[in-house]
Amino acid sequence: MAVMNQSSEPIKTVRKTRSVTINPPKMCQPMGAILAYMGVHGCVPLVHGSQGCSTYPRYNIARHFRESAEVAVSSLAEDAAVYGGAKNLTEAIKNIKSRLNPAAIGICTTCMSETIGDDVKLIAKKALTDDTMKIFPASTPSYVGTHLTGYDNALRTLVETLAVKGEPNNKINIITGIINPGDIREIKNMLRLMNVQSIFLSDISETLDTPILPGGHKPVLPDGGTSLADIADSANSLGTIAICRTAGSAATYLKNKFNVPSVPDPAPIGVINTDRFVQNICKLSGASIPDEIIKERGRLIDSMVDVHHYMYGKKVAIFGDPDLVSAIVRFCAEAGMNPTVAMTATKHKDFAPDIKAVNSEYKTDTQILEGTDLYEFHEVVKTHGAELILGNSKGTDIADDEGVPLVRFGFPVYDRVGVYRYSIMGYNGSIYLLDLMTNAILGHKYDPNKLHQ
Amino acid sequence: MTTILPECDIPIPQRQPHIVCHDPENIVLPMCNVQTVPGDMTERGCTFAGCRGVVGGPVKDAIQLVHGPIGCAYYTWGTRRNLSDTKLHRKYCFSTDLTEESVIYGGAKKLLNSIIESHELFPEGKAVFVYSTCVVGLIGDDTEAICKQAQEKIGIPVIPFHCEGFRGVSQSLGHHIANRTLFEKVVGTAEPEETTPYDMCIVGEFNIDGDAWIVKPLFERMGVRVLSVFTGNASYNDIPPMHRAKLNIVQCQRSSTYIAKMIQEKYGVPYINVSLFGMAQTADALRDVGKFFHLEENAEKVIAEELAKYQPMIDHYRKRLDGKKCFIYQGAPRAWHWMGPMRELGIETILTATTFGHKDDYEKIMERAKPGHICIDNPNALEIEEYLVKLKPDFFIGGLKEKYLTYKLGIPFINGHSYEEGPYAGFEGFVNFAKDIDVAVNSPVWKFINHPLEVK
Repeated sequence: MAVMNQSSEPIKTVRKTRSVTINPPKMCQPMGAILAYMGVHGCVPLVHGSQGCSTYPRYNIARHFRESAEVAVSSLAEDAAVYGGAKNLTEAIKNIKSRLNPAAIGICTTCMSETIGDDVKLIAKKALTDDTMKIFPASTPSYVGTHLTGYDNALRTLVETLAVKGEPNNKINIITGIINPGDIREIKNMLRLMNVQSIFLSDISETLDTPILPGGHKPVLPDGGTSLADIADSANSLGTIAICRTAGSAATYLKNKFNVPSVPDPAPIGVINTDRFVQNICKLSGASIPDEIIKERGRLIDSMVDVHHYMYGKKVAIFGDPDLVSAIVRFCAEAGMNPTVAMTATKHKDFAPDIKAVNSEYKTDTQILEGTDLYEFHEVVKTHGAELILGNSKGTDIADDEGVPLVRFGFPVYDRVGVYRYSIMGYNGSIYLLDLMTNAILGHKYDPNKLHQ
Repeated sequence: MTTILPECDIPIPQRQPHIVCHDPENIVLPMCNVQTVPGDMTERGCTFAGCRGVVGGPVKDAIQLVHGPIGCAYYTWGTRRNLSDTKLHRKYCFSTDLTEESVIYGGAKKLLNSIIESHELFPEGKAVFVYSTCVVGLIGDDTEAICKQAQEKIGIPVIPFHCEGFRGVSQSLGHHIANRTLFEKVVGTAEPEETTPYDMCIVGEFNIDGDAWIVKPLFERMGVRVLSVFTGNASYNDIPPMHRAKLNIVQCQRSSTYIAKMIQEKYGVPYINVSLFGMAQTADALRDVGKFFHLEENAEKVIAEELAKYQPMIDHYRKRLDGKKCFIYQGAPRAWHWMGPMRELGIETILTATTFGHKDDYEKIMERAKPGHICIDNPNALEIEEYLVKLKPDFFIGGLKEKYLTYKLGIPFINGHSYEEGPYAGFEGFVNFAKDIDVAVNSPVWKFINHPLEVK
């Protein structure tokens, strides 16, 4: 039985009051910026900082996607702390250019380079006189924001650097945010069914999910990713939809500068949010909804009907990046589950309103935790209860301590294989997510006698 | 001319002195322990990584508090497989999570509060280790004074490590900082409850995937008392009495010889270098320790028992692996630790590389290398790929960051940093190692690489 919010008390938004952060499910800006750059064809990410600032993000990308992630670093050291990092950055740009001849270099700054005050834009400009290679100078110090703001800053820098007014292209810009290759492929599939052309900002679906081809070969700059020409052309699109609103500042830029309509809406997970996504596509492009999409939607509803006896009232606690968490909270409520806790480390203005709206529509009582850590999440899970936890691999210990299953989504997931390959978005992806949740419940101390028919 | 400039390095010829083809008539060591060429796609990490990740991190009941913005703490949260029998050090990640405000006004108050709160929430923590990241060094927080103040308040040791990531040229300086800090602030601050004539410390053994749980009992079965392991599965309380050992043995001779030397200089405790990998090297280590303590017969007894049990398995794998060629790329010492053991399996190491090796590491590699062996200091992704394609080893032992590049090239790979299905140390561990190599090399998955889809 779901807990009904019958009291008139307002839902509290909890933020931690401690100084110390314990078990933070958030990373720093360069991590997100590197992921944004990795979705651009022929772009080499370059971290302007200490060597750890490239090595650690690479390690996380490698273990989540099970792919190599080549990132350059300017290798700042003590002398840069005194004299500035211009020499290192200039040399790094020249060396990357001469060895790899990439289409672009995506720079992320760090604590170090920002604190010593390097003017990255100016240094990059001086390093590249008379050169066609593009440089994206994103400002991404670790002491501001999280991996999501880093992604947002890098993506906006890409668009600011390249977007240029031209002929209308009849395409829709899709800002992905930090989602998986499987999600991107599913969204592309939906757009294909709707016969809508698109520009993905950016697109890691091929660059971070590469095949082993006959003979065995992987170029340092992998196939796939959004071309620089397409990013330039994003100024001429019908509109921009941000799958993750945390990555939406490029959409705002395109709107303000080129009058490209911006549609910030929830991530397409579950029935209503995916409906909104489809409706937004239709509104921007004038497309109609094809039968195949109607059938996919019908299969999602069919899947929800099939499992509602298992899932009704099941307490679920969810943590992760705000756009994904709030969309999953709504989907869980649609499926009749009881989302007890929704937690995100990255603060975002839409997070609490999204969940409050679900609480009011479905009479649920989801506790909202924003800008806090997993230590606090665990404490609240203990008091509010959870029969299932949804989150990334950092939730493993909490799920173990509570004796409940963990359904893994988000980034990073390193203790299970293949999570990046599958979609939890769109009608198809939502079916998969619901099946994962249901099978987790059925596979965990569920009376097998109740599963024969 | 024994140095080489690979094709990918033609635009950056300053890499040439770092890459050497071994010629016993004219031994040249690769240039090492110098700044990386900016932008060369290095695999190196930072000083913080060496201090927090490698040496300090394994101490299982210390609150490992990273003073800085969130990234550095997150990335070192439970990543290295330095196992222990309690969960505090890998389950929890503590950070002051500095933001712009602290960068402007300083992070001192936040650090002090964080130490006190961590102790209140986790009273089982025997000490607090405070690691400084880049930004702390730049804004100039006086972490020494704050830690002292916090220690007085909470009554347990609070140890500051000045391991800002930008210091030095690689992780290596971080090892040194961790050694020096633990030596100066911890070793000798308490006496062991009792001493015996057979007290020994195993230094530079981090219990990766349970290595220490294999090697420690070998010495105990000989009648040696292992006073401390530095720092694998170590309690904070294991470190203060290290100065009362009669002997230190050093396994990781890059990251931890520092403390063995400092203990020798100040307290007169001798140390010997050991390689606790492979059958012959592990046996040699047991014999050396046996000789020191006059426990030769006991050592021989343990060696005989272990060989009787495990040598047949090694013989089995040797039959399956004989004649194979490999690359080994490790932080530093495991590159040379493993060259001899590979030969016990009939495998020749045709290329070694290290991320942060010093001169003594490369001397040890050359002592073990055959003519024509390639040795690379601080290799980058392009060099690794070029040599994998050129020399086509049967398998490559490297770290996670190199793993998937290698897979895409159709070359078997073993994670030598955290292992696949370890532990790999000692006699028993070497069987696991051999098994993992066998799995990697002889899996049927590779046959599809050169089996394209064609219309017949």
